[in-house]
Amino acid sequence: MDDRLFINLSPGSTYLDKLTGKTKVRLFFAFIILLIATWDMRIIFPTLILTIIGLSSLHSKLKSVKAITIFVVFTNLLNLFLIWIIEPDYGATICGGSTVLFQFTPFYIVTGETMWYFLVRFCKMMATFVAAMTFIQSITPSELAAGLYANKIPYKVCMIVSIAFRYIPDILRDFQAIKISMQARGMELDAKKTTLWTRLKQNVLILVPLIVTSFDRVGNIANAMDLRGFGKNKTRTYYAEHEDGPGDRQMKIFYIFLYLLILVVIAFRIFKPSEFEVWYPWS
Amino acid sequence: MKEPVIEFKDFSFRYKSQNEFTLHDINLTIYAGEKVLILGPSGSGKSTLGNCINGLIPFSYEGEIKGSLKVSGIETQNANIFTLSNHVGTVLQDSDAQFVGLSVGEDIAFSLENDAVPRSEMLGKVEAVAGVVGMEGFLGALPYSLSGGQKQKVALGGIMHNDVQTLLFDEPLAALDPAMGMTAIDLIDQIQKAHGKTVLIIEHRLEDVLYRHVDRIILVNDGRIQLDTTPDELLCSDILKANGIREPLYISALKNAGIRFTPGDHLDNIEELDFDRYKDDVVKAFQSVALSAAKPKGEKIIEVSHVSYGYNKERLALSDVSFDICRGEKISIVGKNGAGKSTAAKLICGIIRPQSGEVKINGEDYMALSIRDIGCIVGYVMQNPNQMLVKDIIKDEVGLVMQLHGFAQEEIDKRTERVLRMCDLYGMRNWPVGVLSYGQKKRITIASILGLQPDVIILDEPTAGQDYKRYTEIMSFIDELNRDFGITIVFITHDMHLAIEYTDRSIVFADSKCIADDVVFKVLSNNEIIERANLKQTSLVTLAERCGIDPEQYIHYFIDSEKAEREAFAKEGGI
Repeated sequence: MDDRLFINLSPGSTYLDKLTGKTKVRLFFAFIILLIATWDMRIIFPTLILTIIGLSSLHSKLKSVKAITIFVVFTNLLNLFLIWIIEPDYGATICGGSTVLFQFTPFYIVTGETMWYFLVRFCKMMATFVAAMTFIQSITPSELAAGLYANKIPYKVCMIVSIAFRYIPDILRDFQAIKISMQARGMELDAKKTTLWTRLKQNVLILVPLIVTSFDRVGNIANAMDLRGFGKNKTRTYYAEHEDGPGDRQMKIFYIFLYLLILVVIAFRIFKPSEFEVWYPWS
Repeated sequence: MKEPVIEFKDFSFRYKSQNEFTLHDINLTIYAGEKVLILGPSGSGKSTLGNCINGLIPFSYEGEIKGSLKVSGIETQNANIFTLSNHVGTVLQDSDAQFVGLSVGEDIAFSLENDAVPRSEMLGKVEAVAGVVGMEGFLGALPYSLSGGQKQKVALGGIMHNDVQTLLFDEPLAALDPAMGMTAIDLIDQIQKAHGKTVLIIEHRLEDVLYRHVDRIILVNDGRIQLDTTPDELLCSDILKANGIREPLYISALKNAGIRFTPGDHLDNIEELDFDRYKDDVVKAFQSVALSAAKPKGEKIIEVSHVSYGYNKERLALSDVSFDICRGEKISIVGKNGAGKSTAAKLICGIIRPQSGEVKINGEDYMALSIRDIGCIVGYVMQNPNQMLVKDIIKDEVGLVMQLHGFAQEEIDKRTERVLRMCDLYGMRNWPVGVLSYGQKKRITIASILGLQPDVIILDEPTAGQDYKRYTEIMSFIDELNRDFGITIVFITHDMHLAIEYTDRSIVFADSKCIADDVVFKVLSNNEIIERANLKQTSLVTLAERCGIDPEQYIHYFIDSEKAEREAFAKEGGI
């Protein structure tokens, strides 16, 4: 079954893998909220380093993220380049100043502030991306459901998450089977031989039976769940959610620290806003 | 004093969406510790009966109820599905859909999770149950890596908690290959004996269920209980065929030999049958007819020679496989799941191409042909018709394949008409596909590939989940295509009845190799092949051995006589 993308289905054995779903979810949200809240390189850079350490500690699975990492790095760089094309002196509005480093034309200048802003922005995006990848790679869908539930999300919502992950591979398999039968009936799906429009129309044809069979399945799943008492009680427990280990206790201290940091960052932004969005070390 | 567990009293049920009642005046009592088979053809109401017991009716499927049904003393209409699930555990037919967990352990724990049992308690319980159903050591396994039989064991494990009194199995054999089916029936039997549960099995495959003792059989048809008796008495009667149920093969064979039974003959267990009484009649009947000669073979259409193929580097799905398919033949490709049957079909259709070896179609190497080109020679029909039907109207569905091949509209109309007439669908050509029955849909999926006038049709499990009546309908239609239009038929199946009755030759796969390629009666009388391919020895072999006849010849004789009977029946204007 090669169509599982990079979703992790069986729990691994590294430090991060062994944390409970609850800890993983809390850690992840701490990182993401912090990264959204701040433009301060003094916070972003250490965060980036931490997330990279986190991702590389899951060493066995690094290969599967290589392609998407290259893609994300590339699109981010392209994004920055486009900003520069439109507004080369963007750093002035954001860091307050334009220290010209060199000049192509009077309009196309390279300033220290703009470059600094780009660096901060790049680190921020990458840290968010690496945090997300670490999270996805270290958590199984069941732990995710359990983790969300432990964080006060209603369990019926959590179930949707894990059920979706459970049946995505099955639906992909159905799709493959239907595609094969349509190809055997003469549907040309080779991009070189047909126009995009024909292929689009044909893919709609494949979707019809896919939707019909998926609806059949949904009915069966719902029955199977009813018959085993899903929705009986107000609370629920999770087989996949083990008791807190030493890692969980250590990480608890760490994410409490992160949430406090978030509070500090937000408090600063509300009560003592700085003149410019991005902190610039040489101003 | 026997304690009643399930009591139907003048019970009738009508689905909300239907005008007619599905169940009529059911009066039935099942006692604690009984093992009961609810037997009936598709659409007889047997699954509806099961759903009334487990509470899906009326809680998931609404409708009108008359009369009373008590499960463990609880009137179901006044209870709810959760209360009932504490008393009745259900294993559904679709072993894939009911596997809601992401690992074996999780799925077994599902009902415990819903009961909010603390995890520390859960672990021990899950482990104990996994031991009972033989899945210990697999707790971390993912659903995608399990076989149908293993998934079913997990499903059974999942309902073993809470000390449910009654276990209900809805068509447990539908998705399993013959050997797995036997294991499943055996496991159900062991659990019933060891834990004293009441067991209800809803099935239409009588012979396979009778592999282990059953206390009582309830025959359901047209929403009514037709008969409520012991297996022994049921098998003596001639009521089975009239109700669309297949008799065990050995019973048919004995009846064909002119033997009449009386209750008390222990017909439900071939091992206990007193063969000395029947031997002479069986031998006489066997010797009275000459065996048919082998059919001459047509020219080769498809030649597969020394083909190997692997989806990944670790394991080959086909390893050095060679076989031919000749014009006008009927072939079954059999073997357990994952043995390479489906891969072989994909190979013939050109969806995958050999990594080594060669495939020739009509004498030419097929590497030059596209999937579309091959589609004009080899048609492929999937197991589930819902996965193939894309158009709303029958006629459009049949025309689609020609449209995709860019035929002129005039030609499409002409050929569509011809195909519709061939398949007896012309009268229904403007009907919407959605209103058709499963069997009719199947017929349309076959019609939908005939427009290209293929030489060969490959059918993937054409009879899976079909009762005897529908099965006969579908198969005699395919038989006609072969006889009247000379179309070569290839079945991919693990249904041994199908192989026996409708094919001339069997190609057997096991562990990605082709281990046998011979006439059906030779394959089926070879114990080594049967074991390696997870097939099941037919009861005909036992019968022949006990009567001192060569099993191979006896199966040959049986196939001949069944065929003759079918043809005579068709001439009378039967199915």
